[in-house]
Amino acid sequence: MRRILASCLATLSLAACAPGTTGAGGGEQQVDDKTLTYLYFTDGPDEQATRSLIADYEKKSGVKVDLQVVPFDNLEQRLQARLSGGNAPDVARLADIAPFRGDLLDLNKFQKAALDGQFVDGAKSYITGANGELLAVPSDLTMNGPLVNVDQFKKAGVALPDVTKPWKWDEMVAAAQKVQKANNTQYALAMDVSGHRFSTMLSQFGTAFFTADGTAVGLDQQKATAAVKRFADLNASGAMPADLWLQAGTKYKAANEIFLAQQTPVYISGNWQVSAFSKDATFTWAAAPNPCQETCGGFPGGKFMVSFEQSKRQQAAADFIAYMNSKESQERLAKEANFLPTRKDLISSGVDYPQRDADMKVFLADVSRTPPTAFASTYSPAFAASAKAAVDELSKVLAEQETPEQAVEAIRAAAEKALKDTK
Amino acid sequence: MSAAHRRRAKPWNQRLAPYLFVLPNMLIFGLFVVYPAINNFNISLYDSRNGRDFTYVGGANYQELFGSDDFWSAARATVVFAVCFVVLTTVLSVALALLLNRRIKGRGFFRTVFFLPVVLSPVVVGLIWGWIFERGNGLLNTMLGRAGLGQPGWLVDGGLAMAVVIFVGLWMHIGFYILIILAGLQGIDPAYYEAATMDGATRWQQLRGITLPLLRPTTMVVVILSLIAGFQAFDYIWTLTGGGPIGATTLMVQYIYENAFQSPIRYGLAAAASVVLFVTVFALTLLNFLYGRRREAA
Repeated sequence: MRRILASCLATLSLAACAPGTTGAGGGEQQVDDKTLTYLYFTDGPDEQATRSLIADYEKKSGVKVDLQVVPFDNLEQRLQARLSGGNAPDVARLADIAPFRGDLLDLNKFQKAALDGQFVDGAKSYITGANGELLAVPSDLTMNGPLVNVDQFKKAGVALPDVTKPWKWDEMVAAAQKVQKANNTQYALAMDVSGHRFSTMLSQFGTAFFTADGTAVGLDQQKATAAVKRFADLNASGAMPADLWLQAGTKYKAANEIFLAQQTPVYISGNWQVSAFSKDATFTWAAAPNPCQETCGGFPGGKFMVSFEQSKRQQAAADFIAYMNSKESQERLAKEANFLPTRKDLISSGVDYPQRDADMKVFLADVSRTPPTAFASTYSPAFAASAKAAVDELSKVLAEQETPEQAVEAIRAAAEKALKDTK
Repeated sequence: MSAAHRRRAKPWNQRLAPYLFVLPNMLIFGLFVVYPAINNFNISLYDSRNGRDFTYVGGANYQELFGSDDFWSAARATVVFAVCFVVLTTVLSVALALLLNRRIKGRGFFRTVFFLPVVLSPVVVGLIWGWIFERGNGLLNTMLGRAGLGQPGWLVDGGLAMAVVIFVGLWMHIGFYILIILAGLQGIDPAYYEAATMDGATRWQQLRGITLPLLRPTTMVVVILSLIAGFQAFDYIWTLTGGGPIGATTLMVQYIYENAFQSPIRYGLAAAASVVLFVTVFALTLLNFLYGRRREAA
């Protein structure tokens, strides 16, 4: 017993030291060794297009780019560890810049003319620092929206909506159920297990987690409850696969397998599926416009390119980011990977996609219909925690453990806490 | 010259040699187990969202933990899982080891069958059983449906999901515990059974009077090891249920993992939960150990 007590005392005395040490901060000694490290995660089709752009950049600039492809899982934790060790990459591709805001390089110091004010306005507050610094460049935009099984719609004799005249939620559900009946599919609609995807529905029902300026929680109790009720009813009736949400636990789960197995005629996902489905789908499919309710449009997302104060090659990093996000490079990436551009000039001029052009145009059309609150929500540093809470609460509604009203209250409380935590 | 004096008189290099032999192992153990464990306790007193900036918060993480519904839900699920797992593991491993210790036909085959899941990757185990237990298109429900027995929501009903998780845990680990009990059984001197048979003791009396009492130290090992495994369960549950439905199978290690490695990162909170888990397992193991020693002494 005395030995145990002694061990405990030794543990406590050792624990008195402060944990961890912060890695090197800003003001790094700069080097010009014509190399760059680029920490990258891939969505699939973009990797080859990125490699091809890098190859051209290497030829043009003489800079050797070390592309370090890592899995998306634990990206945040890996990067934090590298920053702790003073070993940050020169450039990184991120889905969420919020956890790294204090470490990011002001790109305006190096490439203001090429980068400042060139990208989609909705992301501006997210990528701008407290003193006007340009902390990140939105490198690609995603847009949520429905994908439909055209063969099944044809067989059921149901017409698809025109891109310029989106359907209403009631019309989409009625059409999906008619197609389900005609084709004897398991479900009428399926949605990925994701708070991001459910945010599409919230937005269409006229509300969002946060206000347009992103400074406060903007969830409207009545409108959010209507969205949750609709979602719950669709699952309870069997039109949507409730099991998918309940079986997923706390993990993200896509419903793409259900769509590819032709067990649902409508799949609410996003433009990143276009490239994958063009290879994997054994039937005719198409992107359909997002349904309208109170508002139209989908829900945005995207990735960002950043550099770090720790980088010893800040000028080269900013130059590389400027090259990768120039009009020509973004257009090339968009065409090869079926991505949506983030540059304002490309959004207004449009991109002609060599493959699945019509589908990509459907998503692009929805970008302009999407309300500012949707952009503010997706680019809020509190979005990830709020979206996670939404999945938890929706699952409770599906399991009949709480009412839609209670779920909305809980989501609102979680969004408020998340926003408070980020301040 | 006394024996103790002769030992002391050994040359310094001979006295040092044993310590040098264990040094590499102790260094690795210290670096990768002892130091992180101590540092973990330390981190639990700080708030950190990025692993670099630490703000001293004293006991605030523990306060937040004990006021969190999610923590108590994970704690409850962990206790339910661990108790069921330990009891069933102990009873089944003893029962199956007794059967496999007899001279039955195909004994080697059965031993292999029970041990095989131990060498499988837990992630693979979780995925395979996930496909089997899926409600709509799972193997089990397809068979039950054809037999007219309905399609239970194995992974979508909280109670059933916990039962599935316990079952899969047993399936995966039982072979290892059977092996320990078998080793214990083979260590029992056959002379006891011969004497008991000559005295006219039945098999049941031999089991109660000889086998189980002499197996107690081995059973204690099984209880302690399964208790630790029960409290540490994570990998196969993560792939099987993801902690769902609605947190019904989210055990403590998953709660720690989610706070430490998933956005938004809360290192301090995760470290505090790890300390609570460590103290619980340590206390239970100690109690078990002391109880076992008292029984032996009695």
